[in-house]
Amino acid sequence: MLALDTQKEIAQLLSRYPIKRNALLPILHVVQKGNEGYLTPELLEEVAGICEVSQTHVEGVISFYTMYKLEKPGKFHLQVCTCVPCCLVGGEELLEHVEQQLDTHAGHTADDGVFSVEEVECLGACSYAPAVIINEDYHEQMNPEKLDRLMDELRTQGQAHA
Amino acid sequence: MLEETLILFRNIRNPDYDKSLKGYKKAGGLKALKQALEMQPDEIVQLTKDSGLRGRGGAGFPTGLKWSFMAKDTGKPTYLVCNADESEPGTCKDRELMLHDPHQFLEGMMISCLAIGCRHGYIYVRGEYWPSIKSLNAALQELYDDGILGKKLLGKGPKLDLTVHPGAGAYICGEETALLDSIEGKRGHPRVKPPFPAVSGFNACPTTVNNVETLTCLPFIVNEGAEAFKAFGPENNAGPHLISLSGHVNKPGVYEVRLDANLKDIIYDFGGGIPNGKQLKGVIPGGASSSVLTADEIDVTYSFDALAQAGTMMGSAAIMVFDEDTDVVKLLHRIVRFFSHESCGQCTPCREGTHWARMIIRDFLNGNGNEHKLKRLHRVGGNMMGTTVCALGDACGMPIQSFTTKFADEFRDVQALAA
Amino acid sequence: MPVFHLDGQPVEFEPGEKVLSAALRAGVEVPHYCFHPGLSVVATCRMCLVDVVDMGNGRPMPKLQTSCSMDAVEGMKVETKNTKTLEAREDVMEFLLINHPLDCPICDQSGECVLQDYSFEHGTGKSEMEYAKRVYGWRDVGTFVALERNRCIHCTRCDRFTREVTGTNEFGMYNRGHELTVDTYADRPMTNKFQGNMADICPVGAITDKEFRFKRRVWRLKKTPSICTGCSTGCNVTIEYDKNEVFRLKPRENPAVNRWWMCDEGRLSYHVMNERENRIMKPRGRVQGELQPISFEQAYQALAERIAALNPGVGGALVLTDTNASNEALFMLRKLAQDGLGAEQVFCPMPDWQQPDSDFFIDSLITTDKTSNRAGARELGLTGVADTAELKTTLETNPRVVIVLGNPFEHATELREKISKTQLIVAISPLFNGWTELADVVLPGQLHSEQDATYTNKQRRVQRTHIAVQAPRQTRPEWQILAELLLALDKDAGLDSADAVLQALGQAVPTFEGLSLSRFSEAGVLLPGEANDPGRSVVDTRTAAA
Ligand SMILES: Cc1cc2nc3c(=O)[nH]c(=O)nc-3n(C[C@H](O)[C@H](O)[C@H](O)COP(=O)(O)O)c2cc1C
Ligand code: SF4
Ligand code: SF4
Ligand code: SF4
Ligand code: FES
Ligand code: FES
Repeated sequence: MLALDTQKEIAQLLSRYPIKRNALLPILHVVQKGNEGYLTPELLEEVAGICEVSQTHVEGVISFYTMYKLEKPGKFHLQVCTCVPCCLVGGEELLEHVEQQLDTHAGHTADDGVFSVEEVECLGACSYAPAVIINEDYHEQMNPEKLDRLMDELRTQGQAHA
Repeated sequence: MLEETLILFRNIRNPDYDKSLKGYKKAGGLKALKQALEMQPDEIVQLTKDSGLRGRGGAGFPTGLKWSFMAKDTGKPTYLVCNADESEPGTCKDRELMLHDPHQFLEGMMISCLAIGCRHGYIYVRGEYWPSIKSLNAALQELYDDGILGKKLLGKGPKLDLTVHPGAGAYICGEETALLDSIEGKRGHPRVKPPFPAVSGFNACPTTVNNVETLTCLPFIVNEGAEAFKAFGPENNAGPHLISLSGHVNKPGVYEVRLDANLKDIIYDFGGGIPNGKQLKGVIPGGASSSVLTADEIDVTYSFDALAQAGTMMGSAAIMVFDEDTDVVKLLHRIVRFFSHESCGQCTPCREGTHWARMIIRDFLNGNGNEHKLKRLHRVGGNMMGTTVCALGDACGMPIQSFTTKFADEFRDVQALAA
Repeated sequence: MPVFHLDGQPVEFEPGEKVLSAALRAGVEVPHYCFHPGLSVVATCRMCLVDVVDMGNGRPMPKLQTSCSMDAVEGMKVETKNTKTLEAREDVMEFLLINHPLDCPICDQSGECVLQDYSFEHGTGKSEMEYAKRVYGWRDVGTFVALERNRCIHCTRCDRFTREVTGTNEFGMYNRGHELTVDTYADRPMTNKFQGNMADICPVGAITDKEFRFKRRVWRLKKTPSICTGCSTGCNVTIEYDKNEVFRLKPRENPAVNRWWMCDEGRLSYHVMNERENRIMKPRGRVQGELQPISFEQAYQALAERIAALNPGVGGALVLTDTNASNEALFMLRKLAQDGLGAEQVFCPMPDWQQPDSDFFIDSLITTDKTSNRAGARELGLTGVADTAELKTTLETNPRVVIVLGNPFEHATELREKISKTQLIVAISPLFNGWTELADVVLPGQLHSEQDATYTNKQRRVQRTHIAVQAPRQTRPEWQILAELLLALDKDAGLDSADAVLQALGQAVPTFEGLSLSRFSEAGVLLPGEANDPGRSVVDTRTAAA
């Protein structure tokens, strides 16, 4: 069962489109957000029912877009851009640095479950490269030191919440 | 010294600007919308045609002309979908408008909805842009609260609703027909044309897709007239343009320019030149899919037509600068990696070609290149061009062909180094 | 009709028709993978590129165009074989082959693979890529088909099939770019009743018919047009066989009947065509309680004598048939009943049946009437029996002679019990059944794959079969057996071929007037008039699946 808040949000989304299927992408976002950042087969089934599409359709859709996850990400999910402009000004080094710090590889969640890292293509912040997204926020013109500081803060914050 | 032209960025460059509805109104906002409400839709279309506005999404198609293609009297609703997918590497101009002056953009969108008779417009924002999505939603809330949007536009016009639709991570959804599939709730596969969106677009209804920046030009055009807009650029290249400058420049950023500026001046005046006293090696002038220019080729007017003449394109006006130390093989690898990652995969040449090209370049990076592979890389790039459903095939082919031609020696050097 | 030019030749087209369809109709082979006439146009394989040198207005198209998605236009000039198109085609082939295993020698599709065909014609025939190819395993994906994705060329016909044709959505596209793949949802096997069609439309050996896998190299197979007799739809099929053994049935396009499709159960019906164990190989007669092999002549002679002695007449003879017999057999049976035995009626089972209806055409194929010629029996005025209780009064007259064609009232044990006491029972059938067990004389008939015959489907469309495989030597087509019996009874009808029987039928039953096997359309002939089958009801099997 979806949380009441999620259901409300879904109803609101559905009201904005001529047909239910149109709301599929935003609904998947809402459901994913309501489930610690990932989707499960049961949730997909539920969404298929809501949007009146087949489960095949939903699975085809989530496998097409990069933002839908089937595995639980860290509490803070880092997307490090290594596309052209970021790469020109240190995006790759930044990614290596994060991987080293967390002793993990892009695409994995670090052991403590606080951070997960993903190497991504252009985030649309190229004039402010290198760019990193943490959860929903952009952090721009990053360098290893700035990122370390940020992550330290987040780690304390994460542990405080835990 | 080249200076910014401040039309779309007029408010943004004002340090005291308050981007709320109140602030926007105070800065003279919504005047154009009121005026547009007094005009016939056809008049707005004609005005836009006269202004010479060309699409800022990459293709540079005349906006007024595109609107005039909308199928009429179909008995179906008509849609305006704004393309805010901004994913072409190097490009980050639309987000400035959405983040820092959402109301100017939304006013442009409302005017455009009037022009094509749209009663519910959608703004397709790339999924990663949560800050822009939040900014737009907050602005929309203000418009609804103020009775501007909703049952009666500005309290007296037709019904108008606007909805922000988040994407979910797919560059190809910037291609307008893939965008439509995506907003319909499907995988984003570009469609075969015809039919064009103007006949069968969102949910098979007549639809126009326009870029954020394109629509943001509308308030100025309505307020100041077609001629005023035309004045910012040479014949056939009307209006000011937002450029995203990135890479090896001292002052990367998004700037607003007239379309008669010189590319070199953009790099040295706005960009403040190359950091650390390095020499320029080359420039990718219009997003990752444009043909590369070498350092000796950058003395060119930065406009649709002049760049086309120089064998490249303005595309999304994203200028990526790289210095003498840059490994161009690696650079091309990044570009091709991007396209192979973003190919939707439906067309044979693009699905197979982007991947194959990437594998060949990787060979060069690993010291396994040779003359034969260089030729093949060039040919694979060429074979993707002009043979696919959408322009992504060309978008990947152009950099491959231009890099392997203009920087062929560097590919050979990589071999030599490895040998 | 408007005309455009294809490689310099004028070609007529229907307004709105695509260049590719028009070309194929005109017999010009333009290579294509993703296009299928029964599916939506996606124009993604890019194989059908052609050069439009004149759009009909004197100007050329700058780029090559996909002919599957391009409307034909009056005066247009299209080149399909100039250097530009041939090169582009070779390039597309090269792209397709870099990821293809090229394991033709061990691939089932070998011999009917469009990739193989074209790669000999348009490519180098070998793959240039030295990098790792995509690798997926072979997998069962349905009750009827298997999937070998290494061979997939991503034409998406399978995906479109379960979306657009069956509406079952079991297949889908997953991932994107180089990782794009097709598969069933969550690895679940498919359950739709039409999977075999996916093996047919898959242009390469990625989806294959499990039944047929590795049994025979396709180039060995001989083909004969026929129909499926699995239900009253009578899907048009091709029987594919080698050395008198049938290997498979493939649907044959008929827009008015089955379009391009058939059901899996129908496909499996080829097994009967190879049946040996239960097949009646020779006429048999009961000698001291035991069925013994005899010759046809002995059988006829004995029957003539017995029937004369029993002198059945009205009430003395009971004639039963199923509705699987051909029009010709039913007509001759009626003749035998009336002219030879003096019986007024021929009885056959006619239970109520259901015609499915749904948003998906293909669902309408499988009817609940599992016989092939109910409509024919109705045209011939046979007496339909919905419930065997209706035969009660007839049986009260205590018939002395019973003739049974095929296997009617298969499950009516009580009926069979009563009839078993009859003095003379004659069963005519290709296969042993409950009636042949009771019979005093058993006459071996033939299967529809072994005869020239016609059947009338649920729409009242008369469709024909041809001799595909040879029947066992000592069997005869039912119409012939019945004609010979009439002769033995001194009531010769003078009909010595299936065609002669059909023509005689046309004289006796006006709706069949003018039909002849010698000039019979493979698409069948719709009988004039209304169907009006009171046993038919339409059931909505499914409202639009999501
Ligand atoms: C592969 C590809 C990606 C594209 N990405 C974008 C994009 O991110 N944003 C955009 O506005 N237009 C993009 N376009 C261009 C759109 O297809 C379309 O031309 C544009 O949105 C029309 O708006 P305009 O006329 O206002 O420029 C892309 C085109 C292609 C072929
Ligand atoms: S060119 Fe590439 S991205 Fe565009 S439709 Fe074809 S496969 Fe998809
Ligand atoms: S499995 Fe066959 S039908 Fe399906 S996409 Fe692959 S090649 Fe086409
Ligand atoms: S639908 Fe009926 S006639 Fe058609 S293939 Fe199936 S069983 Fe045979
Ligand atoms: S390349 Fe990193 S944000 Fe564009
Ligand atoms: S058949 Fe035309 S593109 Fe595939």
